[in-house]
Amino acid sequence: MGASFRATERGVLSGPDAVGAPGAWRAVEAWFAAQGWEAFEFQREAWRAYLRGESGLIHAPTGVGKTLAAWMGPVLEWLGERADDGLEPARGAQRERERAEPLRVVWVTPMRALASDTVLSLLEVVEGLGLPWTVEKRTGDTAGSLKKKQRVQLPTCLVTTPESLSLLLSYPECRERFATLRCIVADEWHELMGTKRGVQTELCLARLRAFAPGVRTWGVSATLGNLDEAAKVLLGPDGSPTMVRGMMPKDVEIRTLIPDEIERFPWAGHLGLRVLPQVLEVVEKGPHGQRAKGQMEEGKREENGEGGATLIFTNTRSQAEIWFKRILDERPDLLGQVAIHHGSLDRSLRAEVEGLLSDARLRCVVCTSSLDLGVDFSPVERVVQLGSPKGVARLLQRAGRSGHRPGAASRVYGAPTNALELVEFAAARDAARRGEIEGRRPLERALDVLVQHLVTVAAGGGFVEEELKREVRGTWAFRNLSDREWAWCMDFVHRGGESLRVYPQYARIRRVGRDEGTEARRHEEEEAWGEGPNRYEPGKADGSPGPLVKAAEGDGQSGEPVRWVVASDAIARVHRLGIGTITSEMVMQVKLVRGARTTGGTTLGTIEEGFISRLAVGDRFVFTGRVLELVKVRGMTVYARKARQMSGIVPRWDGGRFPLSTQMAAALRRKLDEARRGVYADPEMAGVRPVLELQRAWSVIPAPDELLVEVVTTQEGFHIFVFPLDGRSVHEGLGALAAYRLTRGRPLSVTASANDYGLELLSPEELPSDEASLRALLSPEGLVEDLLGSLNSTQMARRQFRDIARIAGLIIPAYPGTARPQRYVQASSDMFFDVFEQFDPGNMLLDQARREVLEAQLEVSRLRATMERLAGMRMTIKRLDRLTPLAFPLWAEQLRSVHASSEPWSEKIAKMVVRLEAEADEQAAGRGKPARGRGAKDGGRGRGSAGAAPAARRSTRAR
Amino acid sequence: MRVEWAGEELELLAQRAVWWPRGATLMVADLHLGKAAAFRSAGVPVPAGTTAADLSRLGMLLEATGARVLVILGDLLHAPTGRAKETMEAVAAWRAGGGRAGVEMLLVRGNHDRSAGDPPRQWRMAAVDGPLEYGPFTLVHEPRPARKGEWLVAGHLHPAVALERADGRAGGMKAACFWARGGSAADGRGGFLILPAFGVFTGMKTVRPRVGDRVFAVGPERVVEVRGAA
Repeated sequence: MGASFRATERGVLSGPDAVGAPGAWRAVEAWFAAQGWEAFEFQREAWRAYLRGESGLIHAPTGVGKTLAAWMGPVLEWLGERADDGLEPARGAQRERERAEPLRVVWVTPMRALASDTVLSLLEVVEGLGLPWTVEKRTGDTAGSLKKKQRVQLPTCLVTTPESLSLLLSYPECRERFATLRCIVADEWHELMGTKRGVQTELCLARLRAFAPGVRTWGVSATLGNLDEAAKVLLGPDGSPTMVRGMMPKDVEIRTLIPDEIERFPWAGHLGLRVLPQVLEVVEKGPHGQRAKGQMEEGKREENGEGGATLIFTNTRSQAEIWFKRILDERPDLLGQVAIHHGSLDRSLRAEVEGLLSDARLRCVVCTSSLDLGVDFSPVERVVQLGSPKGVARLLQRAGRSGHRPGAASRVYGAPTNALELVEFAAARDAARRGEIEGRRPLERALDVLVQHLVTVAAGGGFVEEELKREVRGTWAFRNLSDREWAWCMDFVHRGGESLRVYPQYARIRRVGRDEGTEARRHEEEEAWGEGPNRYEPGKADGSPGPLVKAAEGDGQSGEPVRWVVASDAIARVHRLGIGTITSEMVMQVKLVRGARTTGGTTLGTIEEGFISRLAVGDRFVFTGRVLELVKVRGMTVYARKARQMSGIVPRWDGGRFPLSTQMAAALRRKLDEARRGVYADPEMAGVRPVLELQRAWSVIPAPDELLVEVVTTQEGFHIFVFPLDGRSVHEGLGALAAYRLTRGRPLSVTASANDYGLELLSPEELPSDEASLRALLSPEGLVEDLLGSLNSTQMARRQFRDIARIAGLIIPAYPGTARPQRYVQASSDMFFDVFEQFDPGNMLLDQARREVLEAQLEVSRLRATMERLAGMRMTIKRLDRLTPLAFPLWAEQLRSVHASSEPWSEKIAKMVVRLEAEADEQAAGRGKPARGRGAKDGGRGRGSAGAAPAARRSTRAR
Repeated sequence: MRVEWAGEELELLAQRAVWWPRGATLMVADLHLGKAAAFRSAGVPVPAGTTAADLSRLGMLLEATGARVLVILGDLLHAPTGRAKETMEAVAAWRAGGGRAGVEMLLVRGNHDRSAGDPPRQWRMAAVDGPLEYGPFTLVHEPRPARKGEWLVAGHLHPAVALERADGRAGGMKAACFWARGGSAADGRGGFLILPAFGVFTGMKTVRPRVGDRVFAVGPERVVEVRGAA
């Protein structure tokens, strides 16, 4: 470490421009020249700051040059040290692994898929400069042989994910292995911040800083609305980040495909197949058999944005599947030139698609956010955004995936899936021009992540309580952690909380050192109790400490302070399986079998268990663009074969439907106000004009200071539509709140639905709809109490608890393709939620679930701001006999509607039905066979997408 | 809720049990005692109180019905690692107390019992393998195809139904249920009655009843028959 400080000090003394060794700078400049490049000024700025010993954040709206800006600092440092030693840097091939430079850099990347590409681009520099460095990745798919080598010695630069880093910290020898660390790079930090993986990263970095004092941390981020905060989160509250701003954006062209006949364009829906012909025209701009034409011709085509490949971004995986299939139905000649890419596909399939795309062998890839990040695919000339991007940053990020040749512009074509999305595309361009980019709110006090981390650190060599507490409070996420919260987390992993004091069987961590005698006695107390034929033998796997633990105990006896270590090797093993905070629904592996075979097969990817549990053998579903027929389900594997018939249902993956951001909502209100004033300047606004004029004719287009309410009675009941125009997450909160307030104190049943424009309250009975009642319904007074009181918040907390239960280690992990391990200790998060509520109501993880619902899901602070804004607006109540263009999508949507009812349970049941299977095709059920899947988890109903017109919707509903 | 099934009058109880008055028998399934303890020994902190809650509810039922026989349709114990001292002692004390000493208790072994082991002698519970003829019923743990004229009473599935709103709007719910097939005495084909899981920490499994089946949803205070929709 001494050498690095020498270089650093000299740099500081001799001023910012002369930092580092001149020879080292020359070598790096020469490498750039050899590539035909010249270093950008912001890159030099970042290197100098690194050499001065500073930490910070490199941010730029596009991908250009950020990797090298972060990477060359440590390289220059090493070259400088070598110059000090009077040694010329070694030329030629990398030396043997064992003799290579020890660990210097940990490079954290948000996605496994990015790790391999990052290794390649870092190695380019290493090889170009002939450094005796090794660069290796360590992710979930690193081969076992390499992992073994890494246990002996880490590479010079370790490229890893937050989960794998955390895993490395769970091994006892980690402190020594990271001792030589100089630099941590957090790549695509904007992706991690604001998530629990980000919190996990914060905790891991705090650990690394404790192992290697003086280590510098550099974040690499896209443009965010709150960059300063992002840097603080990365470095911790005590850090003083240096901000390095990258290149200004390339030109971004945002165009929208305007439907020819807006009159026939749907008012609602999310599939957007109506614009398929126009999207195909965009794809057509790519090369089609014109290779024969000369170079000149090709150059001209590129200038016009022609040639190259098209990325079609969809907002959901289901939509990607549907579009992929429909493109091939429409254009069978494109077979082999169109591909699909989303997060549920098998990694090898995704890698294949990425390879083909890089090699310019594809014309079009239908993808989801799975391709938002990653190396640049230079053949990509244009991007189609299918459906509203809902956020400015997202649109710019996706646009940035195109046009990577020097001087080329990024081109994004917006493809609206319903009429109002035309307004949203116009609004997005507007906000992008004004530079109104969304921020990301960092998470705080995620106790589930802390609970996991405590066990990780206990397994990774153990800890002294006060030291770790100080370290944890040095992170942004836990800077305000109270003593009580800390004590609760410790107690939870040690004794399981207050209610388990008399049950000695449970412990994930235990004390060694001064009072270890008491602990050991507690373990001995575990005894068998059984006289049945299968006697219970006290299990070695459960209580007895293994070799690793014994080693730690040795430390304790030598008079050191009390340390906490993992309770047993068995606990450590299970814990390592569960490390990681990326949580999704339980997924099953999908295997394609051929012919009459029902075993073996190729892996296609993964699919949510909830979806599979709704299928019966022989049912058809669409996956990887193929129509498959379910053959059987075994353990965590689904066997399917190609179906003969060509139609099937498309799985609905959870998530993927983003709510409108605050920035987008504000821009949307500006656009609607233009329309109200008769200004239709954008092509999108001109396109959607007939629809907006209809809204104005039937009702009004609300002014900025006007809250529009539409009251409609249909045979379904009494509807109140309210249009705050503030994004779905806010409207969901408003809807839940209003439904709760309406049903409080009297037996009534209300359904609340929300979309980005407003909310709908529906009841079979007439609801109070005068201005005073409506204002009371939307009043910010008693907001938090009422939200917590609503039944809906309980359901949401229950959903939120799924992630928490897994992260906190309540759910013993089962992986796709394997049998469920430890089948006697499988329980759903719902079951945990119930037992905690009933038997341990003070459990802080329950509080956290409620807090996450309020803060993250219902965005209570944004909700309060909206309600305060609404209170100051005039209210226009329109009583109508039909649904307006603004109301119709809300009515048709219903996707996330919530039901509040104060009726007694038996009356609610009386309004419900259970769907029965036909007798004929259910011989299996005659044997009392249950539906597959562990139904303990809510499967969620598959709801058909709303049709384009009321008539279509009815038939969807009828099913 | 009173129902007639297999020519017998039965009461389906919201406490997840079946009361058969003519046989003075209370039937429950899937207690999974010691499940919480099994989790604890694997390092998963399930709060205390689940066993006590199950035992107290079962005790209240026995008292309220005055049952002379308690039939447990399998999965009395959850796992070998669930035979924690505290749990086993609690059950032994429960068995001896509250006037329950005179109640005959019968376990039809389930899949969990086979690995978790039979109840200890102090519990005084007879353990047998199903199927067991019991009056007009055939008691089993895992449901199987009913033979002609056979009336299976079973557990194992932890059945629950997904309920949809009849008006097609969103807002469905899930409820544990009793699930019956066949059952009119004239119906010679036989049928089954599957009980919901009794234990509080057991979970549910959504089943798919077919046309002609009867489904009784279990609510907080009562059992209600659910309308079917094809």
